[in-house]
Amino acid sequence: RQHQIAIGQSGEVKRATLEEVRERLEWLAQKRREEKEGIGNVVDLGKRLEVRKE
Amino acid sequence: KDWDDDDIEEVEMVDDTDDLDPETERAAWKLRELKRVKREREVIETAEKEREEIERRRNLSKEERE
Amino acid sequence: MTHAADARRHFDSRGYTGPQIHNQNPVHLLEKPIRDRIITSYYWQEQCFAINEATLCDRAAAMSFIGGTYGQQKPSPFLCLTMKLLQLMPERDIVLEYLHQTEFKYLTALAAFYIRLTFDSKDIFQTLEPMLADYRKLRRRARDGGYSLTYMDQFVDDLLTKDRVCATSLWKLPQRTILEDLGHLEARDSPLGRELDEIDDQDDDIMANGES
Repeated sequence: RQHQIAIGQSGEVKRATLEEVRERLEWLAQKRREEKEGIGNVVDLGKRLEVRKE
Repeated sequence: KDWDDDDIEEVEMVDDTDDLDPETERAAWKLRELKRVKREREVIETAEKEREEIERRRNLSKEERE
Repeated sequence: MTHAADARRHFDSRGYTGPQIHNQNPVHLLEKPIRDRIITSYYWQEQCFAINEATLCDRAAAMSFIGGTYGQQKPSPFLCLTMKLLQLMPERDIVLEYLHQTEFKYLTALAAFYIRLTFDSKDIFQTLEPMLADYRKLRRRARDGGYSLTYMDQFVDDLLTKDRVCATSLWKLPQRTILEDLGHLEARDSPLGRELDEIDDQDDDIMANGES
């Protein structure tokens, strides 16, 4: 995990800037959109993998 | 979400999806907002009445003193 | 600038010397029994360790309800993240970014709660009142564990008018009218705006007709 690297051994976490918060939110929003769109595909892929196993 | 051992299905029984029925959702909000406006006005009216009552008593006691 | 990965300094029994909000250790804006529940909770220990203002958004985006405690007085993620914010004390711009971003409504609710706890009274009204026009749905979890529906505007109204919200007693906010009398605030303009005038006119008509 990114933040575990960030804290290293010091037990401290870097303060985030507004810019970093915005980027994080944008990234999370993007991820959520992709998940929504991807639900159908994932189910299909799951089925196909099941079929191949048999 | 392994921190939560609760039933996921129960969460989904209360649907928080917005804009399923925009008109009804706005109408319900309008009603809530009207209630707030009414409540705010009542607070002001009550305060005014109290002020008048204090004024009235003050005048009364003045007359009584004279 | 860094944060402690845990909240050592805020819970140090030898005394707290860090920055204050409302003249006290910010985490003390939550009552002690609740704080104790939070720091022993799995969610706090697993999900709130070593996060900062940015990574906290991951947790906030995953929230699916607001609430206080439920079941065996288990604190909600909402409360745990509130305490994390009290520990992080994000800069004002960041808090407002949480509040006004439109993608994650539970983050907006979290920011509103944090603002109610930490801003001064005039600022609370000025920042939160515009949210009374936001009628997105929010899931709320009650003490018995059951879920119900509320709305952003209802939640914000609760924050502005109630003494207790989400198992937390809120510091006493002066009544709006007092701040108006002092000249700190203008009378609130309802977002209903002209619609409200029309409704008033209708009422007046009814009154006038009734009296004639």
